[in-house]
Amino acid sequence: MTTLDRGGPGAPPGPPPGAGRGRPTTGDDARERRRALAGRLDAKGSPYLFIAPFFLLFGVFGLFPLLYTVWVSLHEWSLIGGNEGFVGLDNYVRLATDGKFWNALYNTIGIFAIAVVPQLLMALLLADLLNRRLRWSGFFRIGLILPYVTSIAAVAIVFGQLFGPQFGMVNYLLELAGVDPVDWRGEKYASWVAIAVMIDWRWTGYNALIYLAAMQAVPRDVYEAAAIDGASRLRQFWQITIPLLRPTIIFTVIIATIGQMQLFTEPAVFGTDGAMNGGTQSQFQTVMMLVYQEAFRYGNYGYGSAIAWMLFLLIVLFSLLNVLVTSRIRSAT
Amino acid sequence: MTASTTGSAAVPAAARRPSPPRARTRRRSGGMREATPLTYAALVLTLVLSVFPLWWMFVVATRDSAAASARPPSLLPGPNLGLNMERLFANSTANFTTGLMNSLIAATTVAVSVVLFCSLAGFALGKLRFRGRAGFTAAVVVTMAVPVQVGVIPLLMLMEWLGWRGELQAVIVPFMVSGFGVFMMRQYVQQTIPDELLEAARIDGCSTFRIYWSVVLPALRPAMVVLGLLTFMTVWNEFIWALAVLTPANPTVQYSINQLNLSAFSRDFALMFTGAAFATLPLLIIFVVLGRQLVGRIMEGAIKA
Amino acid sequence: MQNLLRPGWRAAIAAAGAGVLLAATACGGGSGEADGEVTLVVDTFGVFGYEELYQRFEEENPGVTIEERNITDLADYTPQLQQNIAAGSGAGDVVAVEEGILVQFLQQADRFVDLNEHGGAELEANFLPWKWEQGHTTDGRLIGLGTDIGSMAMCYNVELFRDAGLPTDREEVGELWPTWEDFIETGQQFQEADTGASFVSTIFPYFNVLKAQEGDHTYQNTEGELVIETNPAVRGSWETVTSMAEAGLSANLPLWSDEWNAGIQNNTFATLPCPAWMLGHIESTAGDAGNGRWDVAAVPGGGGNWGGSFLSVPTQSEHPELAAELAILLSSPEGQLAAWNAANNLPSSEEAIDSADVQEFTRPYFNDAPVGQIYGASARELEPVYFGPDNQAIDDAFRAALESVEQGQASPDEGWQRAAEEAERAAGEG
Repeated sequence: MTTLDRGGPGAPPGPPPGAGRGRPTTGDDARERRRALAGRLDAKGSPYLFIAPFFLLFGVFGLFPLLYTVWVSLHEWSLIGGNEGFVGLDNYVRLATDGKFWNALYNTIGIFAIAVVPQLLMALLLADLLNRRLRWSGFFRIGLILPYVTSIAAVAIVFGQLFGPQFGMVNYLLELAGVDPVDWRGEKYASWVAIAVMIDWRWTGYNALIYLAAMQAVPRDVYEAAAIDGASRLRQFWQITIPLLRPTIIFTVIIATIGQMQLFTEPAVFGTDGAMNGGTQSQFQTVMMLVYQEAFRYGNYGYGSAIAWMLFLLIVLFSLLNVLVTSRIRSAT
Repeated sequence: MTASTTGSAAVPAAARRPSPPRARTRRRSGGMREATPLTYAALVLTLVLSVFPLWWMFVVATRDSAAASARPPSLLPGPNLGLNMERLFANSTANFTTGLMNSLIAATTVAVSVVLFCSLAGFALGKLRFRGRAGFTAAVVVTMAVPVQVGVIPLLMLMEWLGWRGELQAVIVPFMVSGFGVFMMRQYVQQTIPDELLEAARIDGCSTFRIYWSVVLPALRPAMVVLGLLTFMTVWNEFIWALAVLTPANPTVQYSINQLNLSAFSRDFALMFTGAAFATLPLLIIFVVLGRQLVGRIMEGAIKA
Repeated sequence: MQNLLRPGWRAAIAAAGAGVLLAATACGGGSGEADGEVTLVVDTFGVFGYEELYQRFEEENPGVTIEERNITDLADYTPQLQQNIAAGSGAGDVVAVEEGILVQFLQQADRFVDLNEHGGAELEANFLPWKWEQGHTTDGRLIGLGTDIGSMAMCYNVELFRDAGLPTDREEVGELWPTWEDFIETGQQFQEADTGASFVSTIFPYFNVLKAQEGDHTYQNTEGELVIETNPAVRGSWETVTSMAEAGLSANLPLWSDEWNAGIQNNTFATLPCPAWMLGHIESTAGDAGNGRWDVAAVPGGGGNWGGSFLSVPTQSEHPELAAELAILLSSPEGQLAAWNAANNLPSSEEAIDSADVQEFTRPYFNDAPVGQIYGASARELEPVYFGPDNQAIDDAFRAALESVEQGQASPDEGWQRAAEEAERAAGEG
């Protein structure tokens, strides 16, 4: 990733302006020296000054809270009582046997899985549709990312109503089709589907554009050769397009993983009780919702931090796994 | 909690890894397949599904709550938008006016700040020579992959300690820089600003900051607009942190519409949907203005992936 | 966090942030001031009905403006109030405190103004004795002045009772169910009549009524220890209400949900525990079409309490003197009567309960039921119930568990197990 252009000329401190004019007076000399000094200071110091705001602000509001999470997680720490003492790994021991944590993790990964697989397949299909000689292609592309540019909470409210048990439009349509209405908030897997629909609605078009760009980079002659060999369109798609797109696909999976492991807004708004319980039996409570519930509803900062840190480690683990898989595949090709 | 979520918009930019050489050679759409009527049908269906929830939001916002549960559903706008807006802005639970103003202020401030700080750092990392540059650049890249949201609990403690609990700066200051922004600006600086230009300015006696201000910033304008608007979108959409740190009296717009969603006595769908529509409106304006560039950005990034 | 940085840093960081945001900070919450003008912020939930009193206070105190911030649902209001109190900023100058959360605040008494110091001590005669006691800490500080009490009655749907062949006169209906066993039996009769409706909407509110009737404390004892497994009031109430669900009496509509509200309109269920404040909700939900459809009878088991509040002044208020004055006015017998007239919040003042305003009050919408008399009588039988510091969060857990049982997602035993585990988390004993 560190593809720095070391050869780039940067900004070498040239000779101080006016150095060659040769004024004789000592006062001017002093000014010259001061200027030269200022120029050197500028050249030496400016880069650090320029990057300082980023690193300072990130350090205070990004990195520090992240690391301090570990410290808090090693303590009995509550909203009201404050720091009630060091407890070592107790919070993590509790976590390991906490059914609610495992349930939340199961929900998070489950929702991720049933959201991401259809999403990427649909995106591939859409990209393939767009990757043709097409009228109004610009219009279709822009239309596809409309969902991406909307307010998540607002759309979650709308979907929450559409998936209402008695008055929702989805159940209405199901009934028209002769299917029994579904309890979208009460049944675990149904609730996952409802949330996955919200996620996919937002991200499918976006991923389709990414795949489209990658498809356009595939040279035509590859297909032409295949066509001469008599490979069908479908075969070409599976045997040429998909393998060539593999790095892109894996990349979108990684990004989706990092994002979806922290899934919060959609399920939080979907469960309208505000208690962050994610349904009467935590049917769709995600890990991030559990963190919120423990820390900000129950005031258990210590245990909440332990869950948060565990989530962090899991995200890192998943990402590393993905990188590993990616590089395997790349070296294989 | 720095505005890392922006990174999701930039997915591909982050993934500029070398791809198989064959994929590099781009060709015009010479042997491209023709679209069939089925292609169009599928695309139109997708568009309809994409638009429908937004249309439905607008329909209920212009009718009354009964419309949300009517069977068969009414799919055309009604006459009640004005009435619903009046009720929305007068609603003491939602504090919608405050929420809207707060979100506008926060999203704008953060967007300006991210653009400035990130272009400053991106310029330094992209063009200036200094000890540790490679290390700093690598550090920026790493910050992009760090899910800082996980640190909400200490961040909230920090806010309490600063006395910012419930105050607007609590949803501004933590987001004021973004690793994604720095990286994007660095790429753009390297691509678009010739070294000769900087050299010439240097010989004219410009200080480094002056060069940044008068030479680099103007050249970065297109990238700054995209970064600024993406950042605006991220801050506008931020939810979990606002929920944790703000109060109903001083909400952001997302917090405010969630209050309507929770108002358990009787959830007033016309009111909720009107709020949702207003919370979406600024983003739709961005979409209209920026749609084309956004498509370009997403796809441009992807090629380099 | 306190010891990480020297105080200077904290100021510097805060100033740096504030400097960037001069314009923004003007939007901060809390009480504001400009040229001697004072704004007092009152935080409430549900309906308190204080509008006229605010006007009076503003007239009596020129330069004072009162702003009420209202959140409908207590379950949303309470955590936010807790956070504001703990954070030391963001709370109103006068805050409504529901009895379920009061105990937690009594333990943080230093965060509230001792109203004894502002003339509160002479007000004892204004309140029912137990309500007066509840507002005190063990060492005698007065931090909460009582407002209303949630004395209990049973609302029933006259049309559905008629269809099911049950009596419809409120006296006779009350005589159907002296005890909860009788109530369940009546329910079974009702279901057998097959009106298409259910006897109860959801079992959770009945659980609330029952556990308040059956003991002087609920989930936590006065030491703050979790006692759900040993307190018969909790376990017994659980068994009674889950048996209602098993007998098929429930329509399984989560309290306050859209479907539940629609149920009030569409005759989906026949009874509903009715604290005084519920009447207003039924009336506004059922609308004109529901006029005369609901009536009010006595509750099984006699008495009972659901809800009821206090007013407190957080020490973070910049105008404690004025705020205390306002709290005293709002909770005075006069103030309580104004709230009764505006919203039927039953007064906690004996004087107010005995007044003609309450005793002679009838509600046309409920077939002219003499609701003042009904609730006033029930109020005298009230025994105060102690609610522990984590009452609200534990209550949320029990509600979720009861809903999962009645919706058939869990057996009563599984539901209990789940609620108990969640209660331990909420109480910080997990």
